Amino acid sequence: MIQIAEKSDAASAGAKESDRIVRVRVLRQDAPGQESYWERHAVPYEPTMNVISILQRIAAMAQSQDGRHVAPVAWDCNCLEEVCGSCTMLVNGRTRMACTALVDKLLEENPEEIELKPMSKFPVVRDLVVDRQRVFRALERVKAWVPVDGSYDHGSGPRISPDEQEEAYPLSTCMSCGCCLEACPQYTKSEVVQRDDESAEDFDKRRKAAFDRGFIGAHAISQAMLFNSHPTGKMIADERLKAITSQGGIQMCGNAQNCVAVCPKHIPLTRSIARAGRAATVWAIKKLFDR
Amino acid sequence: MAVAAVSPKSILPLACGFDFIAARCSFSRLAAVLCSRHVAVDRIDPSTITRLFVSESESNPSFVTRNQFLIYRLFSLSGLVPVGAFLVVHLLTNASVLAGPGAFQSRVDLIHSLGPLLVPIEWVFIFLPMLFHATVGFAIIAGGLPNVGSYPYAGNVRYTLQRATGMIVFAFIIWHLIQLHWMGAALGGGQFDPHHASSSAAVALQPAIVGILYAVGIVSAVFHLSNGLWTLGITWGLWTSPAAMRRASWVSIVVGVLLGGVGLGALVGMRNVNVEDAKVIEDRMEGVKRMLEGQPAAGSPAAGVRAAPQPISNPSPAASTTGVSTTGI
Repeated sequence: MIQIAEKSDAASAGAKESDRIVRVRVLRQDAPGQESYWERHAVPYEPTMNVISILQRIAAMAQSQDGRHVAPVAWDCNCLEEVCGSCTMLVNGRTRMACTALVDKLLEENPEEIELKPMSKFPVVRDLVVDRQRVFRALERVKAWVPVDGSYDHGSGPRISPDEQEEAYPLSTCMSCGCCLEACPQYTKSEVVQRDDESAEDFDKRRKAAFDRGFIGAHAISQAMLFNSHPTGKMIADERLKAITSQGGIQMCGNAQNCVAVCPKHIPLTRSIARAGRAATVWAIKKLFDR
Repeated sequence: MAVAAVSPKSILPLACGFDFIAARCSFSRLAAVLCSRHVAVDRIDPSTITRLFVSESESNPSFVTRNQFLIYRLFSLSGLVPVGAFLVVHLLTNASVLAGPGAFQSRVDLIHSLGPLLVPIEWVFIFLPMLFHATVGFAIIAGGLPNVGSYPYAGNVRYTLQRATGMIVFAFIIWHLIQLHWMGAALGGGQFDPHHASSSAAVALQPAIVGILYAVGIVSAVFHLSNGLWTLGITWGLWTSPAAMRRASWVSIVVGVLLGGVGLGALVGMRNVNVEDAKVIEDRMEGVKRMLEGQPAAGSPAAGVRAAPQPISNPSPAASTTGVSTTGI
């Protein structure tokens, strides 16, 4: 620890700020299915740091707080501006994007240390990297797209009024980060491990089936509502409603409303859920009497 | 699959209950494995009853799995009608004791005038819907993972309280039935006497600890109903925008506070009943009823003599108030 402090002193020409050490506690896991363990790191403070730059320093040092040589902590990130949704992790116990988790603000909350954990609802691949296949499987289930593929040009679609655009735009900012799922008390972890004698196809099938038994989640319900409000997308509105009323569908929502509270894009997820509930009510009654 | 050591019939209700949980909870996955192993026997035609409930293979979803949406919607509805509606009627009826033991007795008499129909009505409209609501509710609780420690938002606190009060109310209702309902007589309870409604209830509710537990039970039930009202509106899509949800939550709060007042008022009123005075009123009403039905009143010399029909002399307001001590009302 002292060693590190001296190093940073030398590096930043004796600036006073550099005396400060940011203590970081990381919950690590070497491989899927292995035991997780805590590891402490001490990183020289720099102004305007975020959790990603902390992780970059940790990787560069490759050394724990007690001076042991350790493998760099693995993490996921890409855009670094809260639009790609890849750096979700538990920072001080709460799900959020690491790129917008600013160290100065985190130290205001807790000056002692910063705690980093992988998301708890998804299987850990390594350290802070998790496998979020289930997020995308749910989007696949609700057909979160506008079906336009065909062998000839369909021409331009119907126009969308500015009002409709304004309603749809916030929903379209979803980046599949998984924060809503991590914070949801109704969304529980589903980890399927490939068997030794299992082909990739069989494993994929089995895993999808396991995913489909659980809750699809707020993000998928919201995307179903987004594409059901689109003039071309609504051509398969019934298929989406069928998906969100099948096993693990909207009925699993417990109205804790954590999803909307943690969403980094401030998407009105509970409004989407309530609208999906209304659509499902109408659809179910129609199905009952029209068949 | 092993041949069952247990009769399939005895396992079916278990399997049914566990099936919901099975899909979502590792604890009950074990239970589901146990259940499916036990039920897979050749003594029962697998194409009929067994397939309805038993945890299924991936390609062959069970009845419960296929109808999860419908079951959860019926669960939501049953919380309002008939279970929630019953709670409102029940608390309002009991609160009539605040107008005197006679007022409460006449309402109890009205309910018991159903005679032999009372038992099937109780089961069809109260007990069975409650059992359904409780069964699905416990499955939901088992499948959830409360995280109010990490995310202490108001909505999440209500989510957690909804589950806590659900379990409290379930335990309370079982105790309440054993203590007061005639079915509980076999277990040393069944203390409520419909012919002496206020006095028998007052005696049963007299111990301080019983009063406290009833207060907890009533407040939990009222919270569960009024918060359930709010979530029901979202589930069915009645209120969808955040502003509408806020307005609806105020309505739920008002409903909860009013109903809580009625429930706790009933409890206080029942505990403050003067047992001796109430008995006098109840015996008089009982005598009148028996006369009207042409039966001998208890200890009456006019046995077998059919009395001419006469209006039930409802206890006068003065008589009613004498039965209730004025303190605490």
